Amino acid sequence: MFFRLVADSFGRRPRHKLLTGAALALGMGVATAALSVALDVGDRLAKEFRSLGANLVVTPKADSLPLEIGGVDYRPVNAGAYLPEADLPKLKTIFWHNNIMAFAPILEVRAEALPFAPEGGQYQAGKWIEDVSVVGTWAEYAVPLPDGAEFRTGVAKTNPWWRVDGRWFSDNEKECVIGVAFAQKNRIRVGDTISLATGDNTKIPTPLKVTGILTSGGPEDESIVMPLSHAQSLAGKPGQYRKLYVSALTKPEDGFAKRDPKTFTSAEYDRWFCTPYISSIAFQIEQELPGTDVRVIRRVAEGEGQILTRVQMLLWLVTLAAMLAAALAVGASSAASVIERQVEIGLMKALGAGSGTVGFLLAAEQLLLAFVGGGVGYALGIVLARLLGERIFGAAPEPTPLVFFVVIGLAVIVTLLGSAIPMRRASRIEPAPILRGE
Amino acid sequence: MTALRALNRAMFWRILRRLLGANRGRLFVMLLALGAGAAVTAALLNLQVDAKRRLTTEFRTFGPNVLILPKGSSASGSETLAESVIHSVPVNVSSGRVTVMSYLYIVANISAAQSGKSVTAVVAGSNPFGIVSVTALSSATPATSPNGPAPAPSPERVCVAGTRFAQQVGAQQDAELELTSGDHSDSCRVANLRQTGGPEDDRVEIGLRAAQRLADLPGRISMVELTVPGTPGEIQNYIADLRNRIPEAEVRAIRQFTEGEAKIYNRISGLLTATVGIVLLLTALCVMAAMTNVAIERRMDVGLMKAIGGTTHSVVRLFLTEAALLGLAGGLIGATAGLLLSIGLGKAVFGVAARPRLIVYPVAVGLTMLVAILSAFPLRRLASIRPASVFRGEA
Repeated sequence: MFFRLVADSFGRRPRHKLLTGAALALGMGVATAALSVALDVGDRLAKEFRSLGANLVVTPKADSLPLEIGGVDYRPVNAGAYLPEADLPKLKTIFWHNNIMAFAPILEVRAEALPFAPEGGQYQAGKWIEDVSVVGTWAEYAVPLPDGAEFRTGVAKTNPWWRVDGRWFSDNEKECVIGVAFAQKNRIRVGDTISLATGDNTKIPTPLKVTGILTSGGPEDESIVMPLSHAQSLAGKPGQYRKLYVSALTKPEDGFAKRDPKTFTSAEYDRWFCTPYISSIAFQIEQELPGTDVRVIRRVAEGEGQILTRVQMLLWLVTLAAMLAAALAVGASSAASVIERQVEIGLMKALGAGSGTVGFLLAAEQLLLAFVGGGVGYALGIVLARLLGERIFGAAPEPTPLVFFVVIGLAVIVTLLGSAIPMRRASRIEPAPILRGE
Repeated sequence: MTALRALNRAMFWRILRRLLGANRGRLFVMLLALGAGAAVTAALLNLQVDAKRRLTTEFRTFGPNVLILPKGSSASGSETLAESVIHSVPVNVSSGRVTVMSYLYIVANISAAQSGKSVTAVVAGSNPFGIVSVTALSSATPATSPNGPAPAPSPERVCVAGTRFAQQVGAQQDAELELTSGDHSDSCRVANLRQTGGPEDDRVEIGLRAAQRLADLPGRISMVELTVPGTPGEIQNYIADLRNRIPEAEVRAIRQFTEGEAKIYNRISGLLTATVGIVLLLTALCVMAAMTNVAIERRMDVGLMKAIGGTTHSVVRLFLTEAALLGLAGGLIGATAGLLLSIGLGKAVFGVAARPRLIVYPVAVGLTMLVAILSAFPLRRLASIRPASVFRGEA
């Protein structure tokens, strides 16, 4: 009889139930979409922030002081310490190796350059250019990993704001790219070649082909950027580099992460080590690459952390507001559906139903609606979240069961709360005046 | 005739009053749904406008984004600019103030009195001095030092040392440093240590005047760093303007930050717009569904009105006016609540209360009225019902 009554209520007033259900589904759709996006946005934005480039810099521990002015190191080649290139694959073996997005070793040399321009099929030598800054690095180097896989990385990834007109050099070819200011000053174009020498320039070494013009907005605009291996032989430092930039995905530092790791208890230490804070990643790199000093580029890391925290908080608040509005509208809708049924309730009571039975019947109806509406709303919200994610970040957020349970739970609570007050009134209804139409 | 019309109008409003007052529960429910919608609309609209502006300020935590360098500055880095160049920099822009920092770099021999060690390092003379744009490693600045009276931070006498430099020379806080460049020399006390992860770690920063004396380059600077607030487009315009104003120098955007910021700003503002848009749309639909639900229940009222001679036109007009009034009331209450909410939210997120924008208020109220009127439209269909069947209880 109970089920018949519930079924009858749905069957007799389909439009009414449909509307309440629609309000529920829409409201829960808002909640689902907002929740999914808010849960996902941290990771997505952290990836976006990698377009600011490296957030860690690795230098030799026993280094002499760099004399760096305007991004150019004026130390002679034989001053200071170097690091072995052979250690670099170890970067992808640290605990947070999946968070290491890219890295690029840098070796700077000062050299003399001799440009050649093609004229009538022959390369004509220009004049020697004194004191050119040469940067040796990887463009898109395939690093062989200990487990046999390859990891492609280089400055093209750590410094995504570097723009190359033409193409990047191949790391194994005799090629290079030149800074835009250097190219203009010396009238060098893509397709020309350049010979580089240090000290003794009576013997002209094999020239490198210019494959692109680099615009970086920094000192590299005045430099020649070429494969690390050639810079190493030019500097006479085979297999070595001076500076390593690492771009890592990190969690914004909170109060806990800002404490000194030396003061941690072992449980706190484990928690710190197993969270991708920038300080713990720096620590792990320092352990893996002996003799290095890993520093956080605060300018990038702190700004990033602050903005990420703010945006995430903002989205959570928008989500909360959306859920609140959805809840109120849904509650209003279920309240309306109870208020309008006073006559029916009066009749039931006149036929001998107790207040409890009536309340139970109404609650069962509302719950049924909550599950159906909540389910439909969840599906709707997931579709919306996918659309949003794909439009903005080019990747859809993963649906998580957590959101599903939260949304269904919310639907149940909201419908029950919404109908609770009118239901209390309904249970106090005296059948006679209601049925008389008063 | 006019008397009749006046009577009609009086009757119209009287019926309306009764309609609204007849069922307090229903009135409350409708106002709740409309008010909630209006509150969210107002809060989100206000927050969205404010948040975007606030974000551009947040981006300035990355520090300077524009450089002014001597023209044709080559790798040797020895050219300098006249210090007066900073007077041509426009300081007030629409989204805030531009921060100007001028620097003179020199290479000097620095020795620490205590350890007796001496190194060659870069000395940066800066004006204004001691603005540490990134967190200083040691929190004890001389001004807050608890032991003894804090010495007034005179820019001539104190310096800020990078951590790696301090390590090399064996200097700690309050150590005395002797700076020598050519035949000039100066001394300073380390007021602070700092670690930025950038080249500042290897340098000593002193006041610009002291650096100019040390280098014997009075009135000259190597570089100006500008921190320009604003959206990516505004910054581009600012740079173009600056290039015209200072033709003798090279103006350069720090592409790492200008490009990265532009990308991230577009993503975040897109995200915000899309989320707010969808939330508003769905909230409107949700409110509409709830309102329609209420409206459908009123066939009795419609039947009665028609039975006593109301025309379809006047019945519909009655209900639409009721809906509009409800929308107005719900919108006014809700939008006020929403604006207050957004002030609180702005404070929670950005630490600064969001400025309530008055334009948001009429927009939110108008939207709410629109939703209310739209959701009363199913009544148009009810207007075609036959009164008799309603009273017999047939649907």
